[in-house]
Amino acid sequence: MHKKKSEMVFAFSYILPSLVLIMIFSFIPIAMDVMYSFTKYNVIQKPQFVGFDNFIRMVHDPYVWASLRNTIVFTLFTVPVQTALSLFIAAILAGKCQNQFGNVVRSAMFVPVIASAVLVGTLWSMLLAPTGPVNYILDLIGIGAVNWLGGKTTSLLSVSMATIWKNVGYFLVIFYAGIMDIPRQLYEAAEVDGATKLQKFSYVTVPCLSRITYLVMTLGTIWSFQVFDMVYTMTGGGPGLSTQTLVLTIYNAAFKAYNMGYASTVALLMFVFVIAFQILQKRLFGKEND
Amino acid sequence: MQRKSSPFLPVILLMALAIIALGAIFPFVYMALISLTQKTMLNFKFDISEFSLINYSRVFKNFNLLVNFRNSAVVTVSACILNCLVSSMAAYAFAKKKFPYRDTLFFAYLATLMIPGQVTLIPVFVIMKSMGLMNTYPALILPIINAFGVFLIRQFMANVPNDLLEAARIDGCGENRIFFTMVIPLIKAVLVSLTIFTFITAWNDFLWPLVIASKPNMKTLTLAIAALKGNYGTNYGLVMAGSTLTFLPPFLLYMFLQKQFIEGIALNGIKG
Amino acid sequence: MKKKLLATVLIISMVSCLFAAGQAESSGAKASVRKTDLLLWLPPFGSADSLDQVFWTDTLQPWAEKNNVNLAIEITPWGGYEEKYLTGFASGEGPDVGYMYLEMFNDFIEMGTLAEIDSYFTEKEKQNYVYWDKGKVKGRQYVLPFIVGNPRVPFMNMDILAKAGITEIPVTWDELVAATVRIKNNVPAVIPFAQEWADPAIGALNNVYYPYLWQSGGTIYNSDSTAVALLDNGAAVEAAQFLYDLKFKHGVISNECMAMAGTQIRDAFIEGRVAIASMDANSANALEKAGMKNWTFIPSFQNKTKAIWVASDSLIMNSASEHKELAASLMKYITSAPVMTRYHKEIASFPPITYDEEYNANPIFKDMFDNDSKYFHTLPVAEGAFMVMDTLYKNLQLMMLGDLTPEKAIQNTVKYSKSVISK
Repeated sequence: MHKKKSEMVFAFSYILPSLVLIMIFSFIPIAMDVMYSFTKYNVIQKPQFVGFDNFIRMVHDPYVWASLRNTIVFTLFTVPVQTALSLFIAAILAGKCQNQFGNVVRSAMFVPVIASAVLVGTLWSMLLAPTGPVNYILDLIGIGAVNWLGGKTTSLLSVSMATIWKNVGYFLVIFYAGIMDIPRQLYEAAEVDGATKLQKFSYVTVPCLSRITYLVMTLGTIWSFQVFDMVYTMTGGGPGLSTQTLVLTIYNAAFKAYNMGYASTVALLMFVFVIAFQILQKRLFGKEND
Repeated sequence: MQRKSSPFLPVILLMALAIIALGAIFPFVYMALISLTQKTMLNFKFDISEFSLINYSRVFKNFNLLVNFRNSAVVTVSACILNCLVSSMAAYAFAKKKFPYRDTLFFAYLATLMIPGQVTLIPVFVIMKSMGLMNTYPALILPIINAFGVFLIRQFMANVPNDLLEAARIDGCGENRIFFTMVIPLIKAVLVSLTIFTFITAWNDFLWPLVIASKPNMKTLTLAIAALKGNYGTNYGLVMAGSTLTFLPPFLLYMFLQKQFIEGIALNGIKG
Repeated sequence: MKKKLLATVLIISMVSCLFAAGQAESSGAKASVRKTDLLLWLPPFGSADSLDQVFWTDTLQPWAEKNNVNLAIEITPWGGYEEKYLTGFASGEGPDVGYMYLEMFNDFIEMGTLAEIDSYFTEKEKQNYVYWDKGKVKGRQYVLPFIVGNPRVPFMNMDILAKAGITEIPVTWDELVAATVRIKNNVPAVIPFAQEWADPAIGALNNVYYPYLWQSGGTIYNSDSTAVALLDNGAAVEAAQFLYDLKFKHGVISNECMAMAGTQIRDAFIEGRVAIASMDANSANALEKAGMKNWTFIPSFQNKTKAIWVASDSLIMNSASEHKELAASLMKYITSAPVMTRYHKEIASFPPITYDEEYNANPIFKDMFDNDSKYFHTLPVAEGAFMVMDTLYKNLQLMMLGDLTPEKAIQNTVKYSKSVISK
């Protein structure tokens, strides 16, 4: 009893600083956003209450449906690929290259993480230009040039590639740390049982990393749903609505159409879907109640 | 039982890794090369005789760079320290202590990461303005500290064995002392990771400083460099010089911290 | 212990406040001299040795001294432009004088943030401004046109035209079709007619569609800007059909164009891979710098009429400004001939906006500004304009990819527009 109470007090005092900040910079603004979603609001003048008008408009808005579809497809492709890639490369580096070469590779792969998304988007737009280096190489090996940014399916793929390229370095570092934490005895025990490299990877590495994999996938999903700078710089949402994403729609509503109310409504929709994804992910991967 | 291993496999793997690594840095090498030219076209034709550092001297000459750099440095360093401290404290409480509504609160924390910054920009701005904090360092620093750090560190709190903590308690160690002298060292690796990430985020932050730091003596480096990009007839060399300058400090920090990071991991790994 | 923790937190916050106080102090020192404080926001245009902050500080200093004004000049980057103005006005920290582009006018006027400037200018002054009337928006004089220019004009590579045996420069739509088909058949490996259909910004329409819409006698919005007029006559569909045919019927817009952005069109033109392309006039500087010879331009193609897209960015006055007379005086000084002459020579090459300024932009366009300004068109100032233009662009992209007919593309646009314009 006494111990429990002091534990509570301690916990509370330790959470307090972060809670205060999150209250001011997240909880309250989000509450304000929920309020705004029932209004027409251009920031300068007082919000006008419009009831459910924004929601009704959202249901009929082709931009919103396209955004939802594209964002989900984008997430379903980007997250598994970047998770698998970073895990694989981390495993290889940890297994074979714990040396100078490994350090150099890890540092090099971290470079895209440091750059801003806008810079990465600009650079990739250049790489994927019709007469840019990627098409040049494709030409050399006989595949021929591809319309990356102007094609209906390749456009989303292009944004995804740039995003994966930017993120792998960071998740690689996290996985690497996780792998280094796996006790050597587990591997030794497996070897005694005659496990191959692949089996060691599947039965020792992967299970021990489940917590971290869950972290990587959760972060990856949250970030994927928020993809914006990349799309804004590379395609602007086109061609057609093929790369229109939720945050792009929200941004345009807020700062090009000056309707913060409608932007908040779409943000709410996005929020609902991200939460749904999280719950799904937790069911599938987050066993340890983390 | 002899393990079958192909001598070619490692070589192919190494080559693949090398290619991937090169692919990762190639665009930035390109960016640096452009910064040495006066190109108005983004292509791959380079005239080595044209290379010069004049763009960099232009950037330094025309900007109050020392002030901008100071601002970026103050904001970024403060954000890193505060974020590590505040987030690890909260993560510790979430991971190791029991209290009512603990999991609900944590989920609420996570949920705040799911709202895009575009719609919280205005409310946060309104709040900061009404608190009279426009053009102040706290306004630039505090919003950077969010639930991400708490989430990240909490996942790594499993590295801190409960028995160890329990033993210390039995020895009469106070809770604060346990946290600062035992827990923190054990999560050093993830703290380094969070520092790097916070640094990058804070350093590259553009939109928030743009609206909250309107006075020239409060502007950050990223903000100042953005004024280089004209709307017509862009001198890409000048723009890339600015981008390169903005890119360097986080990169150098990473190179420096990387060593710490590796040592931290190695120490942890040995404990087996 | 807990005390240590508290101490640490306190120290950090104290240090932060110290810095904040440090900033407040230095600005407080300046305020003790009794001058009027005025704030000016301008975007960057300079690209090399002359950068905007230094330029404006130097140039405006005489005015500031003469009027006893503490003039703070902020160069606002193009990124986050709308956010900056929104938060600026919302917080009461907006500029006394600012710079807005056309797409921003409608909403900021509706918000009541722009002051009417009519009463601050004498008749003589108004008449001195070449484009004064373009600042009359929504029935009132809300803005002072500042950068009117950078028209989008068709550029032509004369070498390629000569190789195809074309002696006369095409001007009418029919001539354009004939010329480009000839080029397609006689000159391999060039794009006869290049258009940027993969540009991320909707400004691409300024090059690829609007001129043709206006040349067909159409407009985007109706005359009182209450509804989208793309189906009010057949012009919009005619223009769309024209482009559609250029690609699918005549094959002179190559597939590569579906992957190109505006900058890539210019690069390709400089490399000699493009016969005809519409680009912004300032591209001429890039062509000249790259040493390209044997190219030319015409002001406009012609269908029912000619039409040329021009930018119309303007200076605005904050309706909340406490020193409107001074703000007006600043606007006049900025747009005065001596200042503008320096600006056009050193920072951004644009045609004169007052009659007493010499032409200091690229000489090859002087004729067009003198004689063809009757064909100048600017974008509409109307509710929902951004979303309408965005959906128009997206639909036309699908049309050029073969997914929609021209009629469907325009119909979709008009249908969508009804949802963004309040009844």
